[in-house]
Parts: sequence; C-alpha cells; structure tokens
Amino acid sequence: MDPISSYLGISCLLFTIGGIGLCLRRNAIVLFMCVEMMLNAVNLAFVAFSKIHGNLDGQVAVFFVMVIAAAESAIGLAIILSVFRSVASIETTDAAELKW
Amino acid sequence: MSFMEFVIAAVGIASAIGVVGFRNPLSSAFSLIVHLLAVAGLYALLGAHFLAVSQVVVYAGAIMVLVLFVLMLLNLKSESGRRIGIIRSAITVGIGLVIFLAVSGPMLAQFDNLPQATLDHNIKASEGGVKAIGELLYSKYMVQFELSSLVLLVGVVGAVMLAKRKNVQLTPREGGLGGAK
Repeated sequence: MDPISSYLGISCLLFTIGGIGLCLRRNAIVLFMCVEMMLNAVNLAFVAFSKIHGNLDGQVAVFFVMVIAAAESAIGLAIILSVFRSVASIETTDAAELKW
Repeated sequence: MSFMEFVIAAVGIASAIGVVGFRNPLSSAFSLIVHLLAVAGLYALLGAHFLAVSQVVVYAGAIMVLVLFVLMLLNLKSESGRRIGIIRSAITVGIGLVIFLAVSGPMLAQFDNLPQATLDHNIKASEGGVKAIGELLYSKYMVQFELSSLVLLVGVVGAVMLAKRKNVQLTPREGGLGGAK
C-alpha cells in the first residue's frame, strides 16, 4: 500500500473512532473531545491530499479548520459550563429536557 | 510506510481508542493530548511543518488546557456507575466499522486515479513552511483569513456571554446551581 493512502486509511479510522465515541459516551466533555478528534482526522486527510496534489491549498484549509475548532471549543465549553450550572451534571442524559 | 510512521500512527490510533474507552474523563483528556501530538507528528512526516507546530500550540496547548480547566472546574465526583451496556457498545462499534469500511474502501480503491506526481517523501524546503502558507493566506485566501478573525471575535464574545453568571437580582431557579450566588 502506498504511504499516502495509508495516511488516508488512518484518517478514516480515526474519524470512525471519534464517531463511535460520539455514539457511546454520555459525558458532554468527552463528546466534545470526540468531535475534536474527528476534526483532526479530517485535517489529516486534508494534509495527505495536499501532499498528493502537491499544492498548499489543503494545508490552508486545515488552518481554517483549526480556527473554527478554537472558536468552537470556547463556545462549546461555555455551553457545557452553563448547562452544568442549570442541571448540575454534564451527562447528556441528565440534560435531555433542554429546559431550565 | 516507514517504521517511524508506523509507530506514530499506532500511538495515534491507540490513544484515540483511549479517549473513547477510558471511564474517567480526565484520562480521556490526557489520552487526547497524546493523540493530538501523534497527529502533529504525522503532519510533520507529511511535510506540513507549520501545521505540525500550530497543532501542538493550538490544539495540544490552548484547547486542551481549556478542556482540562473546565474539567477541573466542574469537580465531577458524580462520574458514577452508569455503565454502557455491552450490547449497545457492540452494536455501535459494529455500525462504526461498517461505516469505516464503506468510506475507506472506495476511497482507497480510487487512489490510483489521483495524481501521483509528488508521492515521494522528498520535502521541498518551501513546502509546508511558514512562508509558503503565509503567502497563500495573504493573497488567495485573504477574505477568508480576515473572516476567520471575525469568527474568533464572535467566539470570544459568545463564550463570555454564555459563561457569565446570571444577574444576582434574579430569583434563584429551582434545582439549579445558577441564580443567587
């Protein structure tokens, strides 16, 4: 198998692991971390394709994904904090009603 | 695939499984740090040096510090024995593997149709460096780059608005930790 296509395989595998975690876990912060992991898997595929095509556009896309991930982590963690203040738990099953 | 790539990829996958598998969210967070560092190593092996560095700084540094901070702040003693059933886990993992095969199979099968010009591992000096990416960011992706600063600004303001304590004069809500404090 080519070196680069094995990178794509790794990327798929990591994305799948993140998705499985997203389905399995109930802790909101762990869900958040799984989302970060899936974003990273996509980034890895971007970089691999950038290498394949020999231009840097994929790497710029990864840069933008990182920016979005940073903003998302700030807002996501703030949401988790405020959910924790209202229901005193970050298990997603406890916040199932989504109301105060 | 060289030995180095194999080791780093194995570490990355093992720590990714650790993120999902550990019961304690703190262990998950540290496992995620290892995972992010491993992915940064893969970036470096692919020649994306700037991204490898910013992965370490932004992800493994800033974002994970934020996650650990919130994790410590929440003081989760109630991480108790609500176990996830074996059957449910098995079904989820099965579905996940089916999706994995369905996605990765065709993608890897189509690989021969991709341009093969730069498959060698010779890293050009400019490729993936700060200069090349910076030039691209400030010419072709100028508008997007400026818009991303707006996204960050909105993110900061939104985080402050969301995490701000509620007004003290409000009546405390029943059963919540917010309200009068």
